[in-house]
Amino acid sequence: MDPLTKMTRIEIVIPGREAQPVRELIVSAGATGYTSVSGVSGIGHHGPHSGALLFNEYDTLTMLITVLPPDKAPDLIGAIRRLLDGGPGVMFVADTYVSRPEYFA
Amino acid sequence: MSLEIRAAVARATRTVTPLWPLSSFIAVNPLGAHESEDFALATVARPRAAFLADYDRGRITDADLIAAVLERVPELAGAAAVTLGPRVWTAAELVAFELVQADHSRLPAPSAPEPDLVDELVSKWVAAYLDPHPLWQMPHRDRGPWAAWTALARYDPHLPSAARRRLHDLPPTADDGLAIALVRLGVHEGDSELVLQREAQRLPGWVAHIKWRAGHVGDIDMTSYLAIRITLRWSLGLPLPLPLPLPLALALPIPLRGTEPTADPAGARERAATLILTLSGHPGPSDTVARVARILALHPPQLHAFAWQSAYDEHYRRELVTALARTTAVMTTTETSTETTIPSLQVVMCIDPRSEGMRRHLEADPTVETYGFAGFFGVPIRFANYQARGSIDSLPALLSARHSVTEVPTDARQAKRHTTALRVRDAFAAGLHASETTPAAPFALAETLGWFHGATSLLRTLWPDSIRISERLRRSTTPELTTEVTIADAFSLGERAALAETGIRMMGLDRCAPLIILTGHGSTSANNLYQSALDCGACGGNPGAANARAAAAIFNDPQVRRILAERGLPIPSTTLFVAAEHNTVSDRIEILDRQMIPDSHSIAITEFLHTQIIAADRLVRERATQLPGAQRHSLKRLRQRATDWAEVYPELGLVGNAAMIIGPREMSRGVDLERRVFLHSYRPESDPDGSALETIMTAPLVVAQWINHQYYFSTVDQKRWGAGTKTIHNAIGTIGVISGHTGDLKRGLPLQSVAVGNRDLHEAMRLSVLIQAPLERIGAIVSRNQVLRHLFDNNWITLTARDEPNSPWYRYGSYGWTPDLQLGTTQQGE
Repeated sequence: MDPLTKMTRIEIVIPGREAQPVRELIVSAGATGYTSVSGVSGIGHHGPHSGALLFNEYDTLTMLITVLPPDKAPDLIGAIRRLLDGGPGVMFVADTYVSRPEYFA
Repeated sequence: MSLEIRAAVARATRTVTPLWPLSSFIAVNPLGAHESEDFALATVARPRAAFLADYDRGRITDADLIAAVLERVPELAGAAAVTLGPRVWTAAELVAFELVQADHSRLPAPSAPEPDLVDELVSKWVAAYLDPHPLWQMPHRDRGPWAAWTALARYDPHLPSAARRRLHDLPPTADDGLAIALVRLGVHEGDSELVLQREAQRLPGWVAHIKWRAGHVGDIDMTSYLAIRITLRWSLGLPLPLPLPLPLALALPIPLRGTEPTADPAGARERAATLILTLSGHPGPSDTVARVARILALHPPQLHAFAWQSAYDEHYRRELVTALARTTAVMTTTETSTETTIPSLQVVMCIDPRSEGMRRHLEADPTVETYGFAGFFGVPIRFANYQARGSIDSLPALLSARHSVTEVPTDARQAKRHTTALRVRDAFAAGLHASETTPAAPFALAETLGWFHGATSLLRTLWPDSIRISERLRRSTTPELTTEVTIADAFSLGERAALAETGIRMMGLDRCAPLIILTGHGSTSANNLYQSALDCGACGGNPGAANARAAAAIFNDPQVRRILAERGLPIPSTTLFVAAEHNTVSDRIEILDRQMIPDSHSIAITEFLHTQIIAADRLVRERATQLPGAQRHSLKRLRQRATDWAEVYPELGLVGNAAMIIGPREMSRGVDLERRVFLHSYRPESDPDGSALETIMTAPLVVAQWINHQYYFSTVDQKRWGAGTKTIHNAIGTIGVISGHTGDLKRGLPLQSVAVGNRDLHEAMRLSVLIQAPLERIGAIVSRNQVLRHLFDNNWITLTARDEPNSPWYRYGSYGWTPDLQLGTTQQGE
């Protein structure tokens, strides 16, 4: 079998009401897609977050996950860093490997 | 580069609160993005002179001021008293006295910037692009705002020829266009965010709507908007906008923490010397000045406006809790659940304060029991009428629509006749519209039909009720259609059962009357661009009939009832849920889906309607005492406001809203809450794990807070956060209004929603939330939800609670729960 292809995975956890600009950045960076998980729970810099609420999607946290080729990643990482600076939200960046690289190029 | 630009744009407009279109008006906190900061530092309140006038007439007392400063600065309670002149002053008394005697706020008077040519041109282009029903479609609109504008702007006759020449050969994308325009204007990369921020502040209404539109429609984004602005500015050779004065800039992204109070020992000494001179008639010794200065330093001038506001709120909150002690019911919660008889009728109404009046008057009949629940009844839907062209998102703005519901006719032949009649009417309307919009045709139209339109207009102006003639005509030509909502297609059985269980637990419906009426609400008015603001906020600014019908269908579903019974929530087979809608202008309640009511319940329905008519007349009469110019009007004339197209006060909406009570109705039944309180029913016993309370606090409470702050800011400063007078509004399709023929899109509520001339109808207060539930449960919910931590910890709203009916009240503050000594124990029936 062909070896897996190296890619960059970027995860952003951000208040749902502020997720739209991040989605726009991901699309503008040339990523072919992203995964959006609303109502994520946990404890972070701003304290605990209860996760999904029955009748409120606006005030919960959203996690956006995108995978893109390593050469496209630095611009997106730089832009998201600038966007998050001074506001809520965190970004995680990691190498990842995919079996179908044509889906992400 | 383009990504960097987009990031800069996003940061520059991060704290812009989205503005919903007028067709589905959503009340929002215009400073919602600042809720992570302390409301006290916003210093956005009425002028000090207005508070002083309230102080003089007793609306604010010394006790209120002292309570307010102690709440904010608890250290004052431990500070030593000071003897000045003939008496001894506590630290809190000194601080309160200074508030009344001295004005140290020194707020700069905000003034809006004069619109420049860029503002005028951009308003015109954006309105042309976004208008959903233009006479002529903007050319190239399908290519997006930047492409459409670059294709057309070079021909704009309002631009000087030199500027038009500069608009040739612009880049194909807005991102590149913005980047190049910034470079051409000489903006360094590090300054771009600040420049974009100032540019966005010029037309905050349009910017707020574009933010909403980017997230919900996607046909325009902030980058395109700012690219057009900056490119225009460069082409015209205009200078970059100057920074706005701080209070005005609060409409957009200036952090409140920029005004953090700072220690000012010299200032405190000066304040102390002034105060001592006032109180004792002569300058005090230096050690006394130092002691007073140390006290005053604890409460710097930046907090003075907040202290006044807190005292104003505190006065109302104390009166409200005192009023609750006068409830006629003396039952404990347990007694209510088990020992009283089943009521003959239960009416579930929206938490909207207007429902409070109707509930109170319905409860004049002791066999009637009422409940408060968010007006979408826990059923969030996108709803389309039978054969309608469009749909409405009938759900709170906090949710996205995922379940589409429509209606199906119950009689095929009737539906066919109905459809035929609609087609004829549509064809006539389309022909008339074509005649109005086709070049030259309007002249012929005016010649042939002008006299008829003129006569009908005159008739309607002089006799508003004449509109009913055309309504009767329409009804006679379009047969009535009986339908059912397609709830089973939109929700699985499991989902329907979950929605029903959630509803029962949230409102604490622990027993069922034979008839339970789920009553949504809507408003009718003529020639009112803000009609949507009078409809149900929990239904996305739409009337609540569709949700009431959907909820009734769910609760009447035998399969749902079987599952509920398995979960220990049985609904007797003899109980019928019926949908209804409360018209908040006429205060009439209309029963919906009457064809589905069995004979077994028809008498009960008739009796309810009889009770309701009496309640409605009383409520209309009661509301007339506040409605401008209505005191001596007959009931008929008061209800005619719904059809009078010259009437700017068809009703007063949620004016006066000031509090929210979450708890059983026994807390407030029998008390006249003056239609100022959001009432959400809740029983801790029906909610063993607290999830229902968490849902109430994170959804209905948040919506109530949005509404409360919309009214607050629209009242405090109409120029910044209000929409101005209705009388000069021009509609931009269904998206919003502007004053006059051009300019910024108006945000907030119009003047007529909060005031009459210079007199405020609304008392600008922060929402006082009162909850009856275990404090530990409430505290845990606040702790794990950031939205609630922000609202309560940062003083945007206040929280007072008690465990049980006979427990003392506690106030939630910076140090957790503290006994509210002002309120003490206010037992039901005292």
